[in-house]
Amino acid sequence: MSRPEKSKVNLLRPKEGHMRDEVHIILAILFGWGVCTFGFQFLVYACRGTGTGSLLTRLTLFNLPLHFWFTGQFLPLWFIFLCIIFNIYADRISEYHSRRRDRSYE
Amino acid sequence: MNDSSWSIFVVLLVMLSFILVGLRQKSRESQEYGFGGRYTGRIGGGAAIASNWMSAASLMGLAGIIYLRGYQGLAYVIGWTGGYVLLLVLLASQIRRFGKFTTPEFVGERYGSPAARLMAAVIAIAISVIYCVAQFKGIGLIFAFMFDIGYEQGVTYGALAVVSYLVVSGALGVPRNQQLQYLVICVAFIVPLMWLARKLGYFWLLPQFGYGRALTDLAREFRIDFTLPFAGDSLFQWCALCFTLMVGTGGLPHVLSRFYTVPNVRDARWSVVWGLFFIALIYWSAPAFAVFGRLLEARQGIAFTPETARAAADVITLKTALMAGLPGWLVGVLAAGALSAAFFTVAGLLMTGAASISHDLYYSFINPRASETARMQVAKGGTLVLAVLVLAVALNPPGLIAEITAVAFALAGNTIFPLFLLGIWWDRANRYGAIAGMVTGVLCTVAEPLLGGVLPGLASYFPVTSSALCGAPLVICVMIAVSLATPAPPEEMRRFLEQEVHGHLD
Repeated sequence: MSRPEKSKVNLLRPKEGHMRDEVHIILAILFGWGVCTFGFQFLVYACRGTGTGSLLTRLTLFNLPLHFWFTGQFLPLWFIFLCIIFNIYADRISEYHSRRRDRSYE
Repeated sequence: MNDSSWSIFVVLLVMLSFILVGLRQKSRESQEYGFGGRYTGRIGGGAAIASNWMSAASLMGLAGIIYLRGYQGLAYVIGWTGGYVLLLVLLASQIRRFGKFTTPEFVGERYGSPAARLMAAVIAIAISVIYCVAQFKGIGLIFAFMFDIGYEQGVTYGALAVVSYLVVSGALGVPRNQQLQYLVICVAFIVPLMWLARKLGYFWLLPQFGYGRALTDLAREFRIDFTLPFAGDSLFQWCALCFTLMVGTGGLPHVLSRFYTVPNVRDARWSVVWGLFFIALIYWSAPAFAVFGRLLEARQGIAFTPETARAAADVITLKTALMAGLPGWLVGVLAAGALSAAFFTVAGLLMTGAASISHDLYYSFINPRASETARMQVAKGGTLVLAVLVLAVALNPPGLIAEITAVAFALAGNTIFPLFLLGIWWDRANRYGAIAGMVTGVLCTVAEPLLGGVLPGLASYFPVTSSALCGAPLVICVMIAVSLATPAPPEEMRRFLEQEVHGHLD
């Protein structure tokens, strides 16, 4: 009955061990996800009518204006890339922690 | 044969082949693999995720909304792919370790409340119904196109066809071969696009890049700037829509339950990557249909007025193929792909919806002593009731396919996503918080139609297709506040979360 009132499962205060490592990679991936998705739109919006803005909309890649290419083609690719990175790290930390827990693994 | 009879022929051929392959697979599996079905690896799992995801919204609605709204429509592309990142990193492994298969089961177990479970079941059924309305619109439009009849007739025949398919496949016990379905849907979408690009003289091997020159031509010949960012809509509208579709993906019941069909957590995670890649293949291609459609219309002198464009948007893929003079059988292939995507989505959603009526509403609440036969009958009746309900709404569809689907995503993002997020990641969240959160989420989803006339300022923060940008954080805050103000959840659940869901390797 002597449980401390503090929550033990909390995304913002992960407990030590596997959960903390997992949360770190989750937050890093979410950062990459948020900045590229919404940050880029803010950039396009904020730069409208300026030199940078016309650079974003005039420069072309595969004949597509840069901003259209970034949103329509690069971002889905970026999401796939993020998922791959997440999986590689998640595999790695679960291997590390299962080895720590169970020495017979080695 | 003319175009319509070709498409009827191809569609029938495709549907029949699905049933035959399913039956063959069934007889082989019961001999070789037992009844559990066979595991098809990470790539196969990914194809199953993608085929489960593909619907009329992806194959018809997406090109339509981009055709109509240009850059704004890309919010759908991003929302429907970026949601998988959220799903993978925040929920996939954890809900699998939690071990509950459906949304009502998860909510009932985690929050330990029959009332919360009942609410979650009703919300999940409502999401399925809204989602199905969009699919029925797609099916109706294709039937109207194939048989050259009016939309109302088309959607009615389509509904009859779906119900008969459910009856036939249920009676024969045909399993779904989702890998084959994805292959058919993907080929049926991309081969006509390649043909189209070749016919118009663009780079056809990868039309996903080839349409860039069509965009340039559109701007040069007709001064139509398709790519102008935030032309008719604001930054808030773009971000709100995109965010809503993302969190909605993370909360869509039929997407969440996919993670249980793969044997271990690691393969479940990797199959998401493959699934996302297969989905992106279609989503890289959809804007090409929109651009070719606009270009052909402009070249043929068809005026682009808001009314005509809105009417044409949902069938723009088929219309583009016709305008370009693609061979009839290829138009049939295109129609068959979109139709089978819509068809199997509806069949899956109606069946799980009906199962939920039978199990979560009837068996758990109304008659806990119901026999197996009675529950089966309720499920069968439930399928029919849901189909009639969906048909009634779809006869007079309230918007474009993509827009109707977005409302389902908004409801999922405002209710189920926060329930799962806090349920997994915060052990202090309790049943009172869950119930308060669901009520708030539903209110946020209907805020614009409900309050639009009274408090237009407030309602503008909750646009009906994109209410989750403000809605989901609000629901999370409400859940946290109510949970903290009420007693903590039972100790066993907190320990389970700590030791099993998050501490399995400690």
